[in-house]
Amino acid sequence: MNRALALMLLLAASPAVSPLAQEVQKPELSKLSLKVGDTAPDFTLLSDQWKNVKLSDFRGKKNVFLAVYVLAFTGG
Amino acid sequence: MDSPAANAAFAKQININFPLLSDMNHKMLTTYGILKGYDVQKETYQWAQRANIVIDKDGIIRHIEEGDSAVDPNTAVSVCTDLHKKQTSK
Repeated sequence: MNRALALMLLLAASPAVSPLAQEVQKPELSKLSLKVGDTAPDFTLLSDQWKNVKLSDFRGKKNVFLAVYVLAFTGG
Repeated sequence: MDSPAANAAFAKQININFPLLSDMNHKMLTTYGILKGYDVQKETYQWAQRANIVIDKDGIIRHIEEGDSAVDPNTAVSVCTDLHKKQTSK
C-alpha cells in the first residue's frame, strides 16, 4: 500500500440494528453519479485519528484507492 | 454509524496503516451517488453501497466498481499497480 494511499470509509447508515434480509426491499441499483475520466469531487472526512482528511491534499502526490465499506465494524 | 472512535478500534484490531474515514453526515456519499435508500417496514433508510474507486494523482477517476463486484479489491489494486508503473516509467 505504499504506492497508493488507501482510504477506507467505514460507513453505516442508520438503522441501529440491521434489518433482516427478507425485510429489505432492494431498490433498483442506480449507478454512481460519476464515471471513469471524471474529476473526483473533493471531500473532507474525519479519520480514525479525529483529523480531517481532504482528497485534494493528495493531488500531485499520491494515487488514492477509496474503498467504501458499509457496517464494517458492526457485523452488518 | 461507524464513528472515528469505532474506526480507530477496528484499525487497531486489523493492524492497518492507512486512514479509515467516517462520512458522518453522508455528504461525500451523496455527492458520489453511493448512498441508496432502502424500504423497510414502510420506512426508508439510507446506507451506502460497497464501492471501490481509484483516483489518480491528478484527481481523475481511473476505476469504479460498485455493489457485489466491489467486494473483491484485487481489480482495483491491479489498477493502482498499473497506474504507478506508468507514472514511474515516464
